Amino acid sequence: MLPFAAMSTTSEVPAEFRHAAARPGPLRLLGEALEDIFSRRRLVGYLVRADIKKKGADTFLGNLWWVVDPLLQMLVYVIFVSIIFQRPTPDYPLFVLAAILPWKWFTSSLNDATTSVTGQGSLIRQIQFPKIVLPMAATSAAVVGFAFSVIPLLGVMLLYADRITPHLLLIPVVAAVQFLFTLGAGFIVAAVNVFFRDLGNVLRHFLRLWFYLSPGLYSLQMVEQSGVFAERPYLLTILKLNPFATLFEAFRAVIYGDPLTGPHLPDFGALAALAVASLVLIAIGSVVFKRLEPMYAKVL
Amino acid sequence: MSVALQAPPLKRTGAHAIDAVDLGVQYSLRFTKKTTLRQSFMQMFSREPLEPFWALRGVSFNLVRGESLGVIGPNGAGKSTLLQVLAGIIQPSEGAVEVHGHVSSLLTLGAGFDSELSGTDNILLAGAFLGLPDAVVRDLMPSIIEFADLGRFIDAPLKTYSSGMRARLGFAIATSVDPDILLLDEVLATGDADFRDKSKARVIELVKAAKGIVLVTHDMGWVTEYCNRAILLEQGRVIHEGDPADTVKIHVERSAQRKAERAAQLGTAAI
Repeated sequence: MLPFAAMSTTSEVPAEFRHAAARPGPLRLLGEALEDIFSRRRLVGYLVRADIKKKGADTFLGNLWWVVDPLLQMLVYVIFVSIIFQRPTPDYPLFVLAAILPWKWFTSSLNDATTSVTGQGSLIRQIQFPKIVLPMAATSAAVVGFAFSVIPLLGVMLLYADRITPHLLLIPVVAAVQFLFTLGAGFIVAAVNVFFRDLGNVLRHFLRLWFYLSPGLYSLQMVEQSGVFAERPYLLTILKLNPFATLFEAFRAVIYGDPLTGPHLPDFGALAALAVASLVLIAIGSVVFKRLEPMYAKVL
Repeated sequence: MSVALQAPPLKRTGAHAIDAVDLGVQYSLRFTKKTTLRQSFMQMFSREPLEPFWALRGVSFNLVRGESLGVIGPNGAGKSTLLQVLAGIIQPSEGAVEVHGHVSSLLTLGAGFDSELSGTDNILLAGAFLGLPDAVVRDLMPSIIEFADLGRFIDAPLKTYSSGMRARLGFAIATSVDPDILLLDEVLATGDADFRDKSKARVIELVKAAKGIVLVTHDMGWVTEYCNRAILLEQGRVIHEGDPADTVKIHVERSAQRKAERAAQLGTAAI
């Protein structure tokens, strides 16, 4: 046995090969990300199941909170807004709920994605596995929460039975677009939080501001009619470019619709544009995530 | 499965399970633990250059198939970092490592367990993390449960387990996957005397089955008894490589020397 045999080869290794960690290009990283998720889809499934089990386990009401929480939030906004606005919108509770449900889904997805990688620090330091399954599982698990929130929605809809139309069947279509957008954002926040742990704090306030700037408690039509942006029409354009302007308007179209005439078809053109933009965001997000991935085990 | 972290092959010697050449791992202190925005801003404007820290430097060795390699050294010598590089968890900052074969690396047993899930669910989860096909994990399930010897607890949530039970389950999973190369970090000291004997027997069995093992331990008895070769690491560098008994001897001598030096320093400081 020649225990020092390998040492003699040291000088033969050319300098340019010293850095064993090669830097693959963005396309290669994107391909790897897709392969990671596809080849480990069962792991994603197990993680989703574990996540759901855990969320229900640690509170007294368990999964019932998914039903109660949006209803309480709806109540708060209804009381709040009906005091401020003198001219109330008809069936306003349903109007608000149509925005609360997707927003609650988005914020819980993003919060879970933020901590998905940092929360598994000990594991990342000990097993080599594709880390991208973690934000993937976190955002997927949150879909179940949204599915549960259909229960309070149906409950409230019974109070406004004349707004129940086949348009409700389009909810999954709008939700699918929102999921794509959330996934892309989730990859980015999961990666960034590894390096900046206060992202969660920043995000909490950013999300609150985002909600009030999105047409959730009000509609784009109300903004246009009020004429607040009459002198600065570009502000209205910016408002419309907000992904949640498209999503809230679409959810509201199929659940609540027009204040007087009821539900109608959503703006499919805007939804399609957002879907394409979201796919681009997913691509950017997974490249960012994969680019930073080799550093996670060192930083965590 | 062959994990090649470097494009051009180094030296294709079929007998080697691991070829490590001039391995170096650098930690940039810019992004070490729990950076907050404030700290990052401070860093950005501070004039002090960041000292790179080398956890490993110039480490070269190979692992022959069927060999059991002991890695010893004082705390902070880079032993665990070396295992992380071999497992592919950390990319080397310089040099290259080639690993031929499937690596199992539950470095500290029980990582990746979810305390809300049952033992059975955790076996499935750990198997999925290790990248094993689900059918394989289900096949292995009975032997894992038997080896871990958890009785009725296998269906109870992991939070009800004692630390010994968790370690047993972790060891059972790590060694049941039939890896070509097994990386073990300080795992033999866990559990009661019974299980220690059992795990010793299992490791010996794996060594005999011509699988490569890299073992990090502070138990010098293990190194001299069961390792074919040993490496002494100090401050990220290889101090000695060779016969386990010799390496252990050098390690013990150097430790004693350091201790004496420290004592002498303290002594002079006191005066």
